[in-house]
This record gives sequence, C-alpha cells and structure tokens, in this order.
Amino acid sequence: MENSVKGDGLMVPKNLQPFKPFSRSNTRSTAFESTGIGYTLLALGPSLSLFIAVIAKKPFLILTLLSSTLVWLISLIVLSGLWRAFLPFKTGSLWPCTLIILTSVAFQEALRPLFWKIYKRLEDILDAFADRVSKPRLFITDKMQIALAGGMGHGVAHAVFFCLSLLTPAFGPGTYYVEKCSQMSFFLVSAVIALAFVTIHTLSMVIAFNGYAEGNKVDQYFVPAVHLIAAMLTLVNLAQGGCIIGIPLLYIMALLTMGHCGKMVWRRLTEIRSRQGSSF
Amino acid sequence: MATVTSLLLFVLCASFGLSFSDSGQENSFESVPDLEKSMYMHVDGYPCVRVLNLSGEIGCSNPSREKVVAPIVRYKSADELLKSAAVLVSIDEFEILLSRLSKDLDFAGKVAGILVESRTEVSNGLKGFSPDGKFPQAEFAPYQSNNFTWNPPGSGIMWKAYNFPVFLLSRTSTLILQEVVMKNEKTKKSNTENVAEFNVVMQTTKSGTHDSDSCLKEETCLPLGGYSVWSALPPINISSSQKSKPVIVTMTSMDSASFFRDKSLGADSPISGLITLLAAVDALSYLDGLDELNKQLVFVVLTGESWGYLGTRRFVLEADQHSDSVRGLDFAMIETVMEIGSVGKGLSNGVKTFYSHTSGDTLATNETFQALLRAQDSLKTESIKISMASTSNPGVPPSSLMTFLRKKSQISGVVLEDFDTSFTNKFYHSHLDDLSNVNSSAIVTAASLVARTLYLLANDQNASAINAINVNASLVEELLGCLLNCKPGSSCELMKHYISPSATCPSHYVGVILGEPSSVPYPAYVSDVSRFVWNFLASKTSIFSRNITSACPNDCNGVGELCIREEADGKGICVISTTRYVPAYSTRLKYESGSWTVLPYNSSEEMSAADPVWTESNWDTISLRVYKVQNTAYDGLILLSGIVVTVLTYLLILITRAFIRKALKWD
Repeated sequence: MENSVKGDGLMVPKNLQPFKPFSRSNTRSTAFESTGIGYTLLALGPSLSLFIAVIAKKPFLILTLLSSTLVWLISLIVLSGLWRAFLPFKTGSLWPCTLIILTSVAFQEALRPLFWKIYKRLEDILDAFADRVSKPRLFITDKMQIALAGGMGHGVAHAVFFCLSLLTPAFGPGTYYVEKCSQMSFFLVSAVIALAFVTIHTLSMVIAFNGYAEGNKVDQYFVPAVHLIAAMLTLVNLAQGGCIIGIPLLYIMALLTMGHCGKMVWRRLTEIRSRQGSSF
Repeated sequence: MATVTSLLLFVLCASFGLSFSDSGQENSFESVPDLEKSMYMHVDGYPCVRVLNLSGEIGCSNPSREKVVAPIVRYKSADELLKSAAVLVSIDEFEILLSRLSKDLDFAGKVAGILVESRTEVSNGLKGFSPDGKFPQAEFAPYQSNNFTWNPPGSGIMWKAYNFPVFLLSRTSTLILQEVVMKNEKTKKSNTENVAEFNVVMQTTKSGTHDSDSCLKEETCLPLGGYSVWSALPPINISSSQKSKPVIVTMTSMDSASFFRDKSLGADSPISGLITLLAAVDALSYLDGLDELNKQLVFVVLTGESWGYLGTRRFVLEADQHSDSVRGLDFAMIETVMEIGSVGKGLSNGVKTFYSHTSGDTLATNETFQALLRAQDSLKTESIKISMASTSNPGVPPSSLMTFLRKKSQISGVVLEDFDTSFTNKFYHSHLDDLSNVNSSAIVTAASLVARTLYLLANDQNASAINAINVNASLVEELLGCLLNCKPGSSCELMKHYISPSATCPSHYVGVILGEPSSVPYPAYVSDVSRFVWNFLASKTSIFSRNITSACPNDCNGVGELCIREEADGKGICVISTTRYVPAYSTRLKYESGSWTVLPYNSSEEMSAADPVWTESNWDTISLRVYKVQNTAYDGLILLSGIVVTVLTYLLILITRAFIRKALKWD
C-alpha cells in the first residue's frame, strides 16, 4: 500500500487518521544485542585480548597498530575501487571471484615488502636514537612485537572490512541464513572466517618480517602462499554445503600458520640464547 | 555508493563467496541496507483497529505497548496450538476461528495474532461473508421487529472486542506468507523459525481508557465522523422573495464499514447508490428550464451512516437549529424523500430488478411509485422491473431513511434497493464487497430511473422533456474505476479534475473528525470522497456567475458564490451554487476549546439512547514484519562462545609470554 503515514511505508492510508502521535515506550532490546556482541567478540575478541595483554602497554605498539590498520584498510579500499569498474557481475560465480581473489592477494602481498622497508627505516632511526641516548637497541622480542602489532593491524582491517561492516542487521531480532550454508547463520559464518583470517594475518606478519630480516626464503614464500591458499579456500563455500568443509580447512591453515610462527620464534630465541650463552 | 557496492561485492567474493540464492532465484544485495530489508520483510496488510463506544470497545489491538512477536502457523481446526503463535487463516475459516476463540479459552490464550488471507481467484466458492449483524443497526429502526433478518450471512464479528492484532493480507503478501508457513513446517526441528511481528499498539490500550467518555477526556481517541454534502438543483436563491417551492430530497450515503479499517469499499452498499445519485444529477443538469420546475430538487450525500447514522442525525439536528450549513433548506417544505440504497446488484437473468421500500403517507409514496413506473416505461429499450417491496417486511430496510423517519415521521419516503426481503449483497460491510460485486449496467439503469422519476415528480408528472434525460454510461464506468479500484483509483482523470487526492486506493471508512466541525471546514480535514462529491455536485448544479477566466478564491465572495476546483488547478472557478458541507458526528458530542465532551443523555432526543458514540483510538504506526529468528539458547551459545574465545586467547597469550620470558631468562 502506498499511502503510508510514517516513513517505513505500507499499512494505513493517511485517511484522516488521528495524527496525534504518542511516544512509545522503549521496545525490549536486550535479547538481540547479545547476538550482535557475540558475533563481534568471535571475530575480534582475540584481537582485543592481544591488545590488552601485549600492545596496550607500549604506546609505540599502539601507534604501529593504528597505522598498520589504516594502511591495510586503504589497500582494501583501493582494491574495491579498482574492481568497481567491473561491476556488476553475478555474485557467486566462480571465475570473477577467483580473479578478484588472485588480484587482491597479489596486491596485498606486494604491499608487504613495502611495509617491511618502511619498518626497516624506522628501526634504523630508532636504533640510532637509542645509541645517542645510550639506551639499549631494539631487542628481538621488541621487533617481533612490532611485527605482531603490524600483523594485528592487518587482521583487524580484514575483520572490520569483511565482517563488522555486515553485522549491523545482526543487532536486531532477526537472523539470516543462506541457501548454500543452511547449518549456520550468515553472520556466524562471516565471524568465524574473519577470526581465522585475523589469526593468519597477525602471525603472518611476524613470519614475514623475520623472513625479510634473515633473508630466509622459506619464510618469505610461506606467507604469500598461505594467504593465497586460505583465500582460495573460501571459494569452497560457493558450493552447496561447502561451508562445512571450507571452514575447517581454513582453520587448518590458521593452525599451520600458528605452528610455523611458533616454530620460528622458538628457533630464533634458542639461537639468541645459545649466542648469549656462547658469549660468556 | 558505488564504492560501497564494490566493497560489498569484494567482500562477498573474497571472503566467503556466498551466493544469495533463495529457491533458485538470485538475490543480489547491493548494500547492507538491502540485506537488512530482505531480512526484515515488511508485509502489506490492512489492520483491524480499536474502536470504542460508551460502554466498551470493539476491534483489535496489541494487548500492551509492546510489539507482538510469534511464529506463524496455519490454522487447522483439528490442531491444538503448542505455544503462542500467529495464525494464518483463509477467509472461509475466519469466522470459525473467531467463534472457536470465544469458546475454547485455552486455545484463545495461545493465539497471539491472526493473519487473514486474501481471497484468490481459485477460492471463489465463498457463499457469503458479512461481519455485520443480521439486522444492522436495528436499534435505530422505527419499528419493533428486531429479529428480522435483513442480512442472512451476518455474523456480527466486527462488533466484538479482540485482545490481539488481526491483519488482512494483500494478494501478494498472502502468497509470501503461505510460502513462509510452508518453510516453517518443513524446518520444525531446526533452531530457527519465521515469526511475525505485529505493531498495532493503540493509545487507548496504553493509557487504560476503555470507553469513549474516558478516552475523549484523556484525548487518546477521536470521534468518528466526516462531512456530508448537500446540493440544490437549481441553486436556491435565498434572498429571493418568491415563495419557496416544495422540496424533493434525494439522498444516499458514501461511507461503508468493514472488519478491516482500510478495506471498506462498500461497492454495493452504498457506493452503487452514490454513483447512481451522481450520474442522475449529471443527467438532470443538462435539462433546460430547471427554474420552471414546480418543486425544488435537493440532493444529500451523507457520511457516517454505518456508525449510528451520524450523518442523518446531525443533518436533522442542524436543520432544527437552523444552522449555517443547512441555510436555504426548509425542512417544513420537504414533500418526499427518495433514498438510493444498494442498486449495484439489481441484475437477475438480464432483467434489471429494483424494489421500492416505502414508509409514511401512502398517497405521497404512491405518487412516487407511479413516477417510477412511468420512468420505467419511458426507458423503452431496457428490460426493467420495478416492484413494491413485500408487505411481509416489517418496514424499510436499514437505511438513512429509517433514521430520518424517526425524527420527522410526517415525511413520506421511498428507498430504492436491489433486494426485497433480505440483502442480495452477500458481502455486506465486508472487504469483499468490491468492484466484482456490482454490475455497472444496473447502476446506469438505476440512475436513469432516478433522474426521470425526479423530473416527473418535480414537474407534476408532466413528461414533456423526459427523453432528454440520459445518463452518461461512461461517467458511471469512470466513477466505478475511481471509487472502487486502486487503478486508477483517486488519481483518475475525473477526480483529479476536481480535487487533488491524498491517497490513490479508495477506502470508504468514515474516519475520524479532525479539528472543529464547521460548515466551511479546512480542506485537509475533509476526506477525498467528500471533497470530490462537493466539487462535483457544485459543478453540476452551478450557474456560471461571471467570466470563466476569473480565478478564485480571491474574488468569490458574492451571495451564493462558491469557489470550485480550487485544489485541482491551483486556481478555482467561481460559480453560483447551493452546495454545502454538513458535519457528520454524534449528536451527543460537543467540541469545546480544542477537545470533545460527551453530552449527558438527553431523553428528549429520541435516538440518543441508542447512540453508542463511536470513537477510534489514536495510534502511532501500524506495521507487520516477518523475519527469521534463532531460538534464545542458540543466541546465548553464540555470546558465550565469543566470550570464551576471547578469554581463552588471553590466557594463551599470557602462557606464551611467560614461556618466552622463561626461555630468554634461562641462564
């Protein structure tokens, strides 16, 4: 019906109705927000924990996090701006999606060495400054923390861009299920995938920075490979019921990244310990 | 905007490439608001609202100030409801459902709301549906037989109070909801279900005022009413010294009622009568020598008749008080009254059949009947049959004449109807009394009969110019389209010629009376149909007073001058015409300094005992949404998992940090 009294269309004609609107009491809201908060915590809760536990204590890390988030958000916006020219195309069709993923991963991975170069210059400045005021230089754990903050910025940018921006409807009473993934709500899938990517991006930066610092080719190629494979794995979700397979596979990649990062950190720390030990 | 679009597409593809296909159809969303719109689906429908009277209330409302949310199930008479639900029912079973609610209290407690399906083309087997009573408005009848059944399908459901919202769905939303119900039935075990959210919060429910008196005091409701229109052909010259002629009044009503407030079309009862009157006036207006007729013709179109004959009673009261709105009409000079009732179904076996129900002075009514017969004869090319109504009827059928006679019993009157002993309209006062329920040729014939009969009566049965009176059949078709159909509806050429309508889909519910009632109301407070009738009658009964090019309202203040078509073109036309608005509202109400008060019961006003003083509750918005919800356990699980993930990660980080510190300090 097109003759509506109020904005959200439909219903009653203006037909001489009492136009004395009265204020309605607040409708119950508590039940719905909890779901929205749940999804947000799923996607960004671990980042929050990491922030509180590690990053919040050092202002420099906070700055790194913020600038990293900004840089990666801009990279995603630039990518979407570039792809704007190719709109519209059928969502969910394989070839355009594959192409988008390939180009986006390539762009972001090309950005990473650039990020590293900027960091390296910054590190040199900081080290020079430390020398001048006779304070110790950046220790390996400091450098890893900076890398971690950088990676977390990347992860947070991804979560905000791909998950949080879609969550507004989840704060209402309703939910949404997609035909091809009828086991979980759309928002849950989005949050879970975002969590996997946050993990991958956060730890990838640590691995990548270490790879660039040491000149370790394995680490340098590991990161783009994992990023690409993880991104391609999301294409599995295009199939009917694909999310049942796709999401566990994605988490396997996240665990792989976690494992590799742990191994690398342990190796570096034992190296340093043995170097220290041998210097005595 | 395009960036958001590309953003979203990027999101859709790159992160999880889900395609939003719903039952084979590709739904592509361009933005998050699109997603939200598809999640929370607004449903088109017509609500039933809360109407109050002096002793209580009728109609429907949300039981409190909260929205009502309940899963949608289909009504099956054998089933028991396990939990609170919104029941989807077809129109055939609607009355059965309501009667079950009054008997089975356990079942009634579980019904949170009712959704009534629209009649589809297939299910045309419905024999009759009328939510009004078997003798509508019996308490206003001038005779005693209140058991007489004028309306056999009448169930009386619209006069009861319901403590839950009821919506009539449009055709498209009926199909949507049928699909939703099927989906609900298929996924019974899963943790989601589709619910309907009703927002029919009425202010009188919120403020606890449950009858007209208290709600008018608290200003949580407004009285039902509108503006009736009367017009004289030819215009009455008030200042003339000539002896006033005897008056023949032709009247009809323009309002209907139904269970659902906004779907009160009333095609047969009474709009067919309204169209007949308008077409007859149009036909008569082309006659030469109207001034030389021996009697004055007056046409009255009343409103509010379905709610205690508000139009008639107020009209008579204003005449008694000699108020401005009826200036020029001398009730003492009224010789006979002809009412045009339902005439749209007067076609049986190719013969147009009408009945004349009479009351009052037999001599005068006989004269009218004779004029009708002569008019019938003059229409040689058509097969028409006019008969007197059966003598076994207790009196006139429910009509404005009924009330008119109680006030002025000395006047004789005739009601022209398409039925004899009981309504032929099987859908009286229901949303099904629509365009398909009337026949345009019956209306054209009725208009011809009325026009010619009036001419004969006014001309003392001299039939000299009778064959010059011809009803424009295309006008009738146009009026049917304008008044009874959504396309073209009020934005049809004919209506736009006279007014600028505020709505397209017509509804003939009388509505509430806004502001102070007066004979020159603020146009925005008058309904589209009233304004159209006023402008149409003024135009047809008018004499041009001056150059057509002069625009009003600036210059149009002479005696008897009116400005018509003011809204339509922006500049009106000044004419001489006797066409007035008469407010139509309960005679027991008085408007004083911005609010309404109920006057104490005056035993001298005969019908005030029977007057319920109908008012409609105020409301803010009325809406209906359908969306999918997850059960609360699942929602809680998600929140819990979010918290658990966060806390676990924190612990993991602390452990890792301790580990690293230990590893570094190992020395």
